[in-house]
Amino acid sequence: MTEDNLISRLARVQAAITLGTSDRTPVSLMMDYKFPCRHKGITQGEHFRNQTRGFHALLEVFDELGGWDIVFTDTMTTQIRNILEAPMVIKVPGKDIPEDDVIQWEETEVIQEEDYNKIIELGWKKFIADFYPRFRGWGNAEYRRRVEQRAGLEYTHIKAFNKQWEQKGIPILGSAGPFSPLMMLSCSRSMTNFMLDIHRIPDKVKAVMDAMVSDIIDVTIQSVKCSVIEPPMGIPAALIVLERGGCGYFPVKVFERFELPYLKQMVEAFVAEGITPILHFDHDWTLNLPYLKELPRGKCIAQFDSTTDIFKAKETLRDHICIMGDVSASLLSLGTPIEVEDYCKKLIDVTGEDGGFILGVGCSVPVDAKFENLRAMVNTAKTYRVH
Amino acid sequence: MSELSTALANLEEERVRILVQQRVNGGNEPLSIVNELRQGMDIVGERYKSKEYFLSELIISGEIFKEAMALVEPLLKAGKRGEPLGRMVLGTVKGDIHNIGKDIVATLLTAAGFEVYDLGVDVPPSKFIEKLMETNASILGMSGLLTPAFESMKETVKAVAEAGLRHGIKVIIGGGIVTEAVGRYVGADAFTDDAAEGVEICKKFVGALN
Repeated sequence: MTEDNLISRLARVQAAITLGTSDRTPVSLMMDYKFPCRHKGITQGEHFRNQTRGFHALLEVFDELGGWDIVFTDTMTTQIRNILEAPMVIKVPGKDIPEDDVIQWEETEVIQEEDYNKIIELGWKKFIADFYPRFRGWGNAEYRRRVEQRAGLEYTHIKAFNKQWEQKGIPILGSAGPFSPLMMLSCSRSMTNFMLDIHRIPDKVKAVMDAMVSDIIDVTIQSVKCSVIEPPMGIPAALIVLERGGCGYFPVKVFERFELPYLKQMVEAFVAEGITPILHFDHDWTLNLPYLKELPRGKCIAQFDSTTDIFKAKETLRDHICIMGDVSASLLSLGTPIEVEDYCKKLIDVTGEDGGFILGVGCSVPVDAKFENLRAMVNTAKTYRVH
Repeated sequence: MSELSTALANLEEERVRILVQQRVNGGNEPLSIVNELRQGMDIVGERYKSKEYFLSELIISGEIFKEAMALVEPLLKAGKRGEPLGRMVLGTVKGDIHNIGKDIVATLLTAAGFEVYDLGVDVPPSKFIEKLMETNASILGMSGLLTPAFESMKETVKAVAEAGLRHGIKVIIGGGIVTEAVGRYVGADAFTDDAAEGVEICKKFVGALN
């Protein structure tokens, strides 16, 4: 087995992305502040008042678990986030919900049907510039002042946090997290309204998506480039948030018209800029798997959350896309270390066969995961079928 | 299969509205209109089961059903409403504000003939118990999308037992991340991550299915 350092960890992950093998299956926990804060006795609300505390809790938990091969860091400022993520009502711990509850998004009709014409006319970026000041209840000047003022501090934080990972010898998947146009509209129109839109006014919805996608692509590329993450420090990446375009929600014919064309545009544009797309497939995409062969070979990571049949994914996408996943939130929070170890071994045996696999969690580490379950996951990757 | 049932099964929103309005204007018995609509919803359920329809069609059919029921409701209020298939107290548990899954289940259960008492989101155990006592409902449905919801569900089941209500009440939990293990942990009688399956389970609970 190779000694773990920044170069060897990065090589292990890059081998998986390019569908190759290495000394062992790489592992990544995609852990944000939620679990580390809870584990260290820091409330979720405290993280929102002082993000440095949450980051330091993450560093401590990372060390206590013995570390993993690559960390996912969010490199978006608020200004960028407002363009790449769906506008929704956010419930912040300690402010809108109890101090130690986890952050949640309320599903309401934030974007109205009449806004569709404005998006078609203005494009997504200009629409958002006009929309957010109204949504937040501030004037245009006040909104600009707030996000621009915050951006400086946010970039300082991103760079400082990245530096600390680099010093520890841990590579970064440094990433913006754009929503696909379908996901963006479903969340901001609310799911039921959006499904009715697709049923009642499909051509209008299509025109809206056509008007959105280039801005989403441009701002993502701009954001990833600003984060200045380059080999050997890490891998510039874009985590495309996908959930509601798959067969868990829509028939495949809707996916073919309203999700796939934009997904392809986004992926191809990111790959052309040297950015690795991480396809964050929450919920069920089993029937959509064959279409992923239309994406560039050996350039993306497809992440599944345990709802999609990951073994079927391997069968379908073998030799085409690196697969990451899929130890579920339920297993991490209610299972035992033996159950986690058994499942990880099965993933390494089946999904990791011939390489092209990163052992990961489904979606993200839940706030109430058991520490010993996370340790079992990391240890299994480091000790099972090591060459 | 009537024209109205077929129109609903085919998700023809405008056609359903016209046909219901015609029946209302023509003085049709409101319960017979509701039955036609329910037959249409049954076909939607069958198409969903056979994977011809997906979640989007379930939701769209539920919305068309609600719009049609809004035209029939005034007549039902004036006349006989009929005995519901069963009564259910439903809510997203304490600490979780996700409403989508719960709302879908509420719509589909109502369409299937259940009386649903929807308590909304972030519902503490005491509110569930209060409503169970008030309505004499035989099913408790709890929804959640976050792992902390498991603990809230478990607390609620425990509180229901402590209130002496557990016997005679069936508990079903639902949500994107619930599994059999979660069901066991919570002490539920059934679990599902599929709204249509949830309706089938509730029908079995009330003995409406074999």
